[in-house]
Amino acid sequence: MQMPMHAAFRTIAVMAAMLMAAAAHGAPDAASAQLLKSTSDHSKFKVLQQDFQSGPEVTKACLSCHTEAARQLQLTQHWKWEFLNPDGRRLGKKNVINNFCTSVASNYAYCTTCHIGYGWKDDQFDFTAQENVDCLICHDTTGNYRKPSGFAGNVVTRDTEFPPGSGKVVKALKLRPIAQEVAKTSRDNCGACHFFGGGGDGVKHGDLDSSLASPDKALDVHMDATGNNFACATCHMTEGHQVPGSRYAPTAVDKGGAHLRGKERTGNPTTCQSCHGQAPHKANLAKLNDHTDKVACQTCHIPAYARGGIATKMAWDWSTAGRMGPDGKPLVKTDAKGRVIYTAAKGHFVLAENVVPEYAWFNGKVTYTLLGDRIEKSDQPTRINHFEGSASDGKSTIWPVKVFRGKQAYDPVNQTLAVLHMAGNDDTAFWTNFNWEKAVAAGMASVGAPFSGQVDFVSTESMWPITHMVAPAQSALKCRDCHASDGRLEKVSGIYIPGRGSDHATWLDGIGWALAALALFGALAHGSGRIFVSRRRT
Amino acid sequence: MARVYIFKRFERFWHWAQAALVVALLLTGFEVHGSYRLLGWERAASLHTSAAWLLIGLWLFAIFWHFTTGEWKQYIPTTEKVFAMLKYYLVGIFSDAPHPFRVTRLSKHNPLQRLAYLLVKVCINPLIWVSGLLYLYYNELGATVFAGPGLGAIALVHTAAAFLMLAFLIAHAYLATTGHTPLAHVKAMITGWEDLDDEPAHEPTRSHT
Amino acid sequence: MTKTVSPACAVSLCLLGVALHAIGAHAADGDWKRGRVYYQKVCTDCHGAKAGGAIAPNSRSIKDWTAYLSADRHARGKDALKKYVSREYRASIKGVNKAAEKYADVPDEQLFNDIRSFMLKGAKDGDSPASCT
Ligand code: HEC
Repeated sequence: MQMPMHAAFRTIAVMAAMLMAAAAHGAPDAASAQLLKSTSDHSKFKVLQQDFQSGPEVTKACLSCHTEAARQLQLTQHWKWEFLNPDGRRLGKKNVINNFCTSVASNYAYCTTCHIGYGWKDDQFDFTAQENVDCLICHDTTGNYRKPSGFAGNVVTRDTEFPPGSGKVVKALKLRPIAQEVAKTSRDNCGACHFFGGGGDGVKHGDLDSSLASPDKALDVHMDATGNNFACATCHMTEGHQVPGSRYAPTAVDKGGAHLRGKERTGNPTTCQSCHGQAPHKANLAKLNDHTDKVACQTCHIPAYARGGIATKMAWDWSTAGRMGPDGKPLVKTDAKGRVIYTAAKGHFVLAENVVPEYAWFNGKVTYTLLGDRIEKSDQPTRINHFEGSASDGKSTIWPVKVFRGKQAYDPVNQTLAVLHMAGNDDTAFWTNFNWEKAVAAGMASVGAPFSGQVDFVSTESMWPITHMVAPAQSALKCRDCHASDGRLEKVSGIYIPGRGSDHATWLDGIGWALAALALFGALAHGSGRIFVSRRRT
Repeated sequence: MARVYIFKRFERFWHWAQAALVVALLLTGFEVHGSYRLLGWERAASLHTSAAWLLIGLWLFAIFWHFTTGEWKQYIPTTEKVFAMLKYYLVGIFSDAPHPFRVTRLSKHNPLQRLAYLLVKVCINPLIWVSGLLYLYYNELGATVFAGPGLGAIALVHTAAAFLMLAFLIAHAYLATTGHTPLAHVKAMITGWEDLDDEPAHEPTRSHT
Repeated sequence: MTKTVSPACAVSLCLLGVALHAIGAHAADGDWKRGRVYYQKVCTDCHGAKAGGAIAPNSRSIKDWTAYLSADRHARGKDALKKYVSREYRASIKGVNKAAEKYADVPDEQLFNDIRSFMLKGAKDGDSPASCT
């Protein structure tokens, strides 16, 4: 933005005046002066006092002191976007196909906006180059660092027209002030990507959206900006850049005690139990502690997700994408609240706030439908991923989940999910020409998968654990929410829930009430007989 | 009219306290079971537990009392006059026939009562008591002893016993009206004194105007 | 009952895909995160409930906000923002407002500077336009 000279001058003058006023009112007294928690002020480092021209330049400067950082990061899922499932299958962003924007493959330059690296524009990316690690996306404190979409995770340090020929200009970013103010990660850092998963604010998870940047207590007791103010890393306690608590490697049941200082920690530090232990409820609520063998803490303590005023996507129908409006332009539809529920690029969405989760047994194992797995179009949706577990395996608890329902492209002949080439400045990208066959052909070719040339749509379902947005105790579920017929756990099988009608032995209830009725009827009949004869006698 | 003092103070207290607790337990219990909504599940469950503990306490006292006073002998079953009693309830009561049984201090329950109360004491109560405690301590036992039957089975037994208790309660409450006046038995249970018909008493009695 | 700020000021930082100028001057900046909390939990709390709708930082430009803050004629001149940032005000609402309680002892000028940082940063042409949707 260019300000006219005089305006800029006035701005500076006003600012200066305010600063002087502040100074005149009194420098902060000794007691209130903040002690810097870090031992270093990065703005004083010579190596950071340069006008960086690219992300990797900053990284090199960082690495000149933090010699091991890049190597540590290159071991992580954040870097590799790959995860080896215990069942031996290769998962991770790089490999899975989901039912949101479907796949990273063939859309790298857009998706890798959220990669913690610079320049992952195709499958030739050099995962060993240390300067490709992006330090700032996680350690920026100014809130000004950003990686625009379409630049393969690079920052833009010179005003750049994008897409080329569009007349739209991506403004240059000044890296120097950002590099000079780095510090520990905050919710804003993690949120820059994790709040926006699925392509927009709150879209994917439902329990993660930008309302958690500075939430109040009602939204999240731990992250409450006016209270506990947890950073993500308070629970996702990171050492050597290895962030624990990935949903790819979940701990569904934690039987360990609270982690204490001085004791060697082995368990996952992100579980509720790792702080609260195994018997978190006080003596007067001790019965609640008896629930923890079957019920995950989250089930009662996260009564609903998407509670921060930002809607999450509940369903996405790709099959209707590509419609043009009367003006011949891609159609966009909004609902009564002005939220987008249809775009030509993406099809129909269902949005929701304050969503009551679905509940399922979960033992920490998740199975996936990957590219190449045979799928069939049937009444049952294809499970993009599925939480394993049951009442009887002894390893499961009941978890709240977001079930995301979709309808997405697949190859009906080869019976496989499809890799879609969505974004890009080329003729095959779906978002450019709205042609499914071309988009799938390009997508499948990019990963070397066979494609029959035909595209159809299949219903899919994916499961997302609900674990953030923990509500204050008084908003936790009440007994009757589950101990009732048609309660929250109505569909959870394999367990006897007192008060749930479907668990009753109907024969026993039938016989029991009949017996009581018989006793009552007998008494009434006998009694009336006595009354009758005594009347007649008198 | 002659009177006999058959229900001692503790016995009367025990009876009415037990009656109140059983009614409370039935009301809250079937709410916990899910048969209706009355107090709200949470309150029903917590009242049910408290009432159960009170009743268990009361039973412990009562058992102690029965054995120290020898009153337990009142429940020794007898076949004598059982059929006479049945005939009385089915026929005699309608024709104002004399009651086949005379209450005495040593034998205050008629043979049918003896049988019924014995059944409650040795079948229904233990069933409720044991299944209820298992229900309450399911978690503690779950891991070690009770991995097998599961809460559903325990609940089933507990519910079945509750239905038996309910049927007993209804019949008992009705039969309490079968004294020489409809409230005679109830009055006896309140004051301890049972009115006797004009026939002479075998036991020392106190006359009363 | 704690109330949710719900639609009010769930400040979307619109992080990715938007590239904007850094205005530099970092050293002189206040703590924008503290400013954000105070703005959302104290200023917006009042605007949302009593004063007809939230006031989004991105509804005005840096220039406009700078002028507004230096003139400090809040609510069309009825009072001053300084009043709502002051320790006295914070003490008066401390019982019902967690942010006021948490920042009860922050010097007035410092807190004002924090709020200013947040508002300028969140301005229409600021580094992270902040909406209140
Ligand atoms: C006690 C309630 C209250 C508090 C607290 C409050 N405001 Fe206001 N604010 C008002 C009212 C009333 C208006 C006038 C609304 C109108 O005229 O429509 C207003 C208007 C405004 C406006 C619109 C321009 C104007 O001045 O009329 C801005 C900007 C503003 N407030 C900023 C703030 C900031 C920043 C804070 C926190 C430091 C704050 N307000 C705290 C009540 C409050």
